[in-house]
Amino acid sequence: MAEASLLYLVDAATGEGVEGELRDAIEDAQIVDWQTKWQPALIAVLQELDRRGVPVAQWPQSWHWDWRKKTAAVQGLLAFRGFSVVAAGVTQGLAQVDLTKSAREASQAGKPLVYVDYLEVAPWNRPDLGQPVRLRGVGTALLSAAVALSEEEGFKGRIGLHSLPQADRFYRDRCGMTDLGPDATYQGLRYFEITPDQARAFLKDEE
Amino acid sequence: MTKRTMTLNLTDAEMRVLDDLSNRKDLTKTAVLRQALRLYQTIEARVEKGDKLLFENEATKEKAELMLL
Repeated sequence: MAEASLLYLVDAATGEGVEGELRDAIEDAQIVDWQTKWQPALIAVLQELDRRGVPVAQWPQSWHWDWRKKTAAVQGLLAFRGFSVVAAGVTQGLAQVDLTKSAREASQAGKPLVYVDYLEVAPWNRPDLGQPVRLRGVGTALLSAAVALSEEEGFKGRIGLHSLPQADRFYRDRCGMTDLGPDATYQGLRYFEITPDQARAFLKDEE
Repeated sequence: MTKRTMTLNLTDAEMRVLDDLSNRKDLTKTAVLRQALRLYQTIEARVEKGDKLLFENEATKEKAELMLL
């Protein structure tokens, strides 16, 4: 059974706080939401992009992610953990992390970190899809969970991730992560890390 | 998450390795052992699926397979 903690998101339309919960697992209910709510919403967005003649290269890069397969592939493995954000009875964001990777940033090289394998917010919370956003703060809540897990595991808050191009600015500017540049061994995606000092600053900002 | 306690008996050599890893990885001894358990389980799962564990020297590109029995 997943443990849940209270969190507050922001209703983008009214600016008011919305109660939600951060769960330390991705359970069947989240997969059902992904399949029955996220997928139809995403397909509608993709159909609109197609209708407007937007090239596939400019479509949201996570459109093909299959959370059912991603969670099944690491079922029962201690090295992988999942997080979900639930609000208004619906899954608003998902993240899967890997605890076996090491830091690359010069001052932390070789030390363990929480590597964020996948992080995705529901299509209706994404500012990059050309539609009004419903809830703000889902992505940062998931990233905060990864930093908190890193601290719990004794990794001092270190986290790392490869960013899809549409999220580069979010990780660099909003989250204050160190941009270690494109990774030729990982589809050229930019690699970002949070050091222990940055982790403390990030969590303080999120309080 | 609930945690349980166990007593671990290690030789001097094993304790030295644990101390060394703890220092180099900036982890407590408990965190080193938890990390070791994660890695061991992950490798076992991959090998059971038919994968091989290979090490590659970045400079020479020489590859060596780690045999797991």
